[in-house]
Amino acid sequence: MKSTFYVTALAALVAGSAAMAQSAWTGGDDLPTNPLACDGTPAATAALAYDGGSPTNAPDRAGKPITVVDVPKLVGIGYCNATSKGIADAAAEMGNMTATTDGPTEANIDDQITILDNYITKGVDGILFAANDPVAIAPVLKKALEAGINVVGYDANSDPGARQWFVNQAQFNGIAKSLIDNLVAEIGADGSFAIVTSTFTTPNQARWISEMSAYSALCYPDLKWLETVEAQEDNILSFNQANTLITKYGDEMKGIVGMTSVATPASADAVTQSGNCGKVAVVGLATPNAMRPYVQADCVKSVVLWNPVDLGYAAAYVLRAAADGTLQPGATTVAAGKLGELSIINGSEVLLGSPFVFSKENVDQFDF
Amino acid sequence: MTATLFSRRLLSHEAMLALLLALALFTLSRLSDSFLSSANLLNQVRLMAEIGLIALAMTLVIVTGGIDLSVGSITGLSAILLGVLWSKLGIPLPMAAVLAIAGGMVAGLANGLIITRFGVPPLIATLATMAFYRGLAEGLSQGRSVRGYPESFYVLGQGDVLGVPTQVLILLVAAILVGIALQMTAFGRTVLAIGANETAARFSSLPVDRVKLIVYGFSGLMAGLAGVLLVSRVTTTRSDMGMGWELDAITAVVLGGASIFGGRGTVLGTVLALALIQCLKNGLSLAGVKADGTIVLIGLFLIAAVLLGNLMDRIAAR
Repeated sequence: MKSTFYVTALAALVAGSAAMAQSAWTGGDDLPTNPLACDGTPAATAALAYDGGSPTNAPDRAGKPITVVDVPKLVGIGYCNATSKGIADAAAEMGNMTATTDGPTEANIDDQITILDNYITKGVDGILFAANDPVAIAPVLKKALEAGINVVGYDANSDPGARQWFVNQAQFNGIAKSLIDNLVAEIGADGSFAIVTSTFTTPNQARWISEMSAYSALCYPDLKWLETVEAQEDNILSFNQANTLITKYGDEMKGIVGMTSVATPASADAVTQSGNCGKVAVVGLATPNAMRPYVQADCVKSVVLWNPVDLGYAAAYVLRAAADGTLQPGATTVAAGKLGELSIINGSEVLLGSPFVFSKENVDQFDF
Repeated sequence: MTATLFSRRLLSHEAMLALLLALALFTLSRLSDSFLSSANLLNQVRLMAEIGLIALAMTLVIVTGGIDLSVGSITGLSAILLGVLWSKLGIPLPMAAVLAIAGGMVAGLANGLIITRFGVPPLIATLATMAFYRGLAEGLSQGRSVRGYPESFYVLGQGDVLGVPTQVLILLVAAILVGIALQMTAFGRTVLAIGANETAARFSSLPVDRVKLIVYGFSGLMAGLAGVLLVSRVTTTRSDMGMGWELDAITAVVLGGASIFGGRGTVLGTVLALALIQCLKNGLSLAGVKADGTIVLIGLFLIAAVLLGNLMDRIAAR
């Protein structure tokens, strides 16, 4: 009798998960989207009210040397090494900022929270972060703000109220447009494709996928979206997931979009090793160094990214400006060293620029 | 005769742990000013509460000679259950939390059933259910996270009661109850007997299967409670919650002096070991050691502590 009870309870759980499985999930978040026009006319950016948080009783740091900790999503991948290099370059240039990079060895939000907590206890002047989860990281960031620490995010946002500013590499809809346009150029407006992303709750990837969904619905309604799989910024998992997609869909799948700088080279590797170079297009976000062999072998035609070194550089300058008090809520531009004046959009987002497309012609000019 | 030898051996292990803990506290407070403040120490207990609860139940499991590798997955599953029951089915939050914890207990009982009714070794059974429960969690959540819990829910994970973090109180009460159960009740004696010699325990008419079922069910219950506390602490639900926690819990139990083959172990040892590991993690980080360096140092420390423990056991046995 007891065993029948347990068996029915377990059966209910399994049935529940099967029932929930009916709705295919593409991996986007549920926030409103704003797709760009199909022909590339820039969208009008509405000036929104400032929606970031502010530190309580921050000491006057204007001009004084400050200690800053940079907590990326994880350490040990090329992209985050590049952003950390940018931060270190900016700190060296400024002369009055000491920046340490300390991050988890896996893209784990729990570890990130612990690291941030420890630095708050230790006492730092500023925190730069790239969040693994926008909501889970919010309590510890708010704690930092309450302790008078300046908090600036880059690459992957948190809830706006938990940080002062967020340096966005490119507009979400701009990245989405670039990825879809490049994909369609290779597979045609009625091709089918799959996506390899990090996790469905990682803020930047989820945002990009939502925008991609909206843009393709608007401009390429015949484009077929097969599946989105998670690969958690892990090299081996990304490779295995890409292989599984190739085996599962066979000729039906014409392209793979890699949403992380780990997934794209791994997918290109999977496509090359399975002999599908040229038959399955690989488009995605990745560093030129990682993609160089595939671009030169003509397996991959275009790689979309921005300059992560510049991203870290800009983030460090924004933090300095926030700590000095020269960047106040309501500002429309901020000076970022050698990058000049960066515009501020959507209330508390600092925009780095537009996405950049690497191809065979220019991939050799970059080293990150 | 054997009882006093036993207790002497155990006492020396806990004494050694307490000594190491005091040594660690002293050294780490020297390396960083912010380490020994009450705010930091209470915060650290808050952070270790979830693994602490799981380790308490894991002590019982390991003392019976078994192991439970699925606790991390059960934590993730109950976190997802909480989110899904509250947001999709509209069940009021307190009820959803209770159901989520009950779900964890059911998962643990399922483990127990597979182990007692079908005779599958615990390592293999819980290895399989570890994957199964994680898959259920992914399936139920469909990769989405649940957010937007009411502020009142956060008192569990972020609030204080009389100045002490809520989780600290929960952990304290749980530790005292489990400690009393293991050392001073017939149930606890049965748990120890099963680990020491299961065949003899069976032939002595001890309710071996029932106790095993309770022990694994309790492990699932604690994992469920840890899941609810975690959601309250990070204000969101993710299906990858609790990944790797089983190893942290087992480390704490084994460091605490429990024999992995069963028959020996105390709750005091587990609690001291938990405190030691958390102190090291926190103190080293505050002293400026980066995350990857901390892992190496803690690993070295654990090896040294286990070797020292073995040495002292051999000396005590002479």
